[in-house]
Amino acid sequence: MYFFFQKVLMKLRKPRITATIWSSGKIICTGATSEEEAKFGARRLARSLQKLGFQVIFTDFKVVNVLAVCNMPFEIRLPEFTKNNRPHASYEPELHPAVCYRIKSLRATLQIFSTGSITVTGPNVKAVATAVEQIYPFVFESRKEIL
Amino acid sequence: MPGGGRCPDCGSAELVEDAHYSQSQLVCSDCGCVVTEGVLTTTFSDEVNLREVAYSRSTGENEQVSRSQQRGLRRVRDLCRVLQLPSTFEDTAVAYYQKAYQHPGIRAARVQKKEVLVGCCVLITCRQHNWPLTMGTICTLLYADLDMFSGTYMQIVKLLGLDVPSLCLADLVKTYCSSFKLFQASPSMPAKFMEDKEKMLSRTLQLVELADETWLVTGRHPLPVITAAAFLAWQSLQPSARLTCSLARFCKLANVDLPYPASSRLQELLAVLLRMAEQLAWLQVLKLDKRSVVKHISDLLQHRHTLIRKAFREGPSGVEAPAEELWGRGQGQEEVGNGSSDLPKGKRPASPALLLPPCMLKPPKRVCPTPPASTVTGDEDISDSEIEQYLRTPQEVRDFQRAQAAKRAATSSPNPP
Repeated sequence: MYFFFQKVLMKLRKPRITATIWSSGKIICTGATSEEEAKFGARRLARSLQKLGFQVIFTDFKVVNVLAVCNMPFEIRLPEFTKNNRPHASYEPELHPAVCYRIKSLRATLQIFSTGSITVTGPNVKAVATAVEQIYPFVFESRKEIL
Repeated sequence: MPGGGRCPDCGSAELVEDAHYSQSQLVCSDCGCVVTEGVLTTTFSDEVNLREVAYSRSTGENEQVSRSQQRGLRRVRDLCRVLQLPSTFEDTAVAYYQKAYQHPGIRAARVQKKEVLVGCCVLITCRQHNWPLTMGTICTLLYADLDMFSGTYMQIVKLLGLDVPSLCLADLVKTYCSSFKLFQASPSMPAKFMEDKEKMLSRTLQLVELADETWLVTGRHPLPVITAAAFLAWQSLQPSARLTCSLARFCKLANVDLPYPASSRLQELLAVLLRMAEQLAWLQVLKLDKRSVVKHISDLLQHRHTLIRKAFREGPSGVEAPAEELWGRGQGQEEVGNGSSDLPKGKRPASPALLLPPCMLKPPKRVCPTPPASTVTGDEDISDSEIEQYLRTPQEVRDFQRAQAAKRAATSSPNPP
């Protein structure tokens, strides 16, 4: 017997966001491209719910997770990068093609692919930007040199 | 001796608290008269101190080695013996298992997870001693599923704070190739397919190194690459007899499983070899294709370092472009060669054209559209038509409920596997 979680998915077009609305009244808003847009989307959502007849109050808005993608203009030798960056870097080619690099101080995680593409997740936009700045020198020194 | 109480029979003050079995009684020690007696039955709230404590909450757990842990430790030793590991590995793996077991998250985990934990401890031990053991082998031995294994492995590495070295490719090649049944004649295998172990090993190793240099190994599972390399090495050692043999037949002869990605790795490796062959003057005239290049693998491998440098520096037309244009060391990069129109826009690679990870050589499936810069404030008017979009019509509500009920019925009575 499984407990079916009571939640509703609601998608707005402008701004383009998807909101998960829980029966307790908590709302998780995802898909926005900036922190302000997320807040506007959440506010618009609250107003839509008001118009639908629910008693809503917009409180405790907080950005909890930011996902960013960037591209390095060079390819990266992953085994060499892992060797130079233990213990923060973890590379298991049998499980996942990217190196997982964690920065504890920023609470950010970076996934570094051999093509130079990097995916960063962190608690806010500033932490994510700092994480990319911090990783650049390490990634640069393990880049693919022309033979 | 409670003060103030007197026996109603003899008047003595010597009253003793005694228990008759589980019933507490106040008894006169002179005449034996029962003054008061406790209730035989107690309520739940009365029994606070007498209630059973679950074993998982008691401290007994920490003092003894539980049966489940003993079973796990036995499994660790059995697995080490099956894999024929040295005895020092056994002790290290057992120590890891014990350390892991002290964490409450592991102690309370399901039996499946503890089973997989056995494999994780053995794998960590092997990695630390540079013993080439793949996760696939362990999962097959434990009948475990790779997802569960990977989750437990990452968890345990984090929990124990271990630094696990990467899988050593050269050792893996040696171990894996040694397991091929090609080195002795057998009734099922014709003599022309039999091969000398040392020659095949050295050539496979060279091919795997070549693959590593040209981005075919990074980020991918190592075993399919090694299979493809071994196949090419075996074919090239006696091409006249073996060119007609396919990869699948080779694996059957060698009595190993054919990993699914091995065929695409084989194609990628052949493409690299063809590029290299174009640089050798005496091979250029032969106009090689994927089959005929196999005959010349020995020559190509002999000069592989120079050939890679040359093959991937020049454009596909073979014209040597000026050095400044090609060396994209952090400076402005030009598109190299005319075959690079497939490269995704916005990504200026540093490696010369074609010496790129294979995924970058293929054209992107669809271009990700940049979202238009929208000036949204959140205070815009919400029209009634927009609200209508969010509400379901009664017909939709009925359909949805019907669909949900059908889904619940389907999942609640699954067929046993």
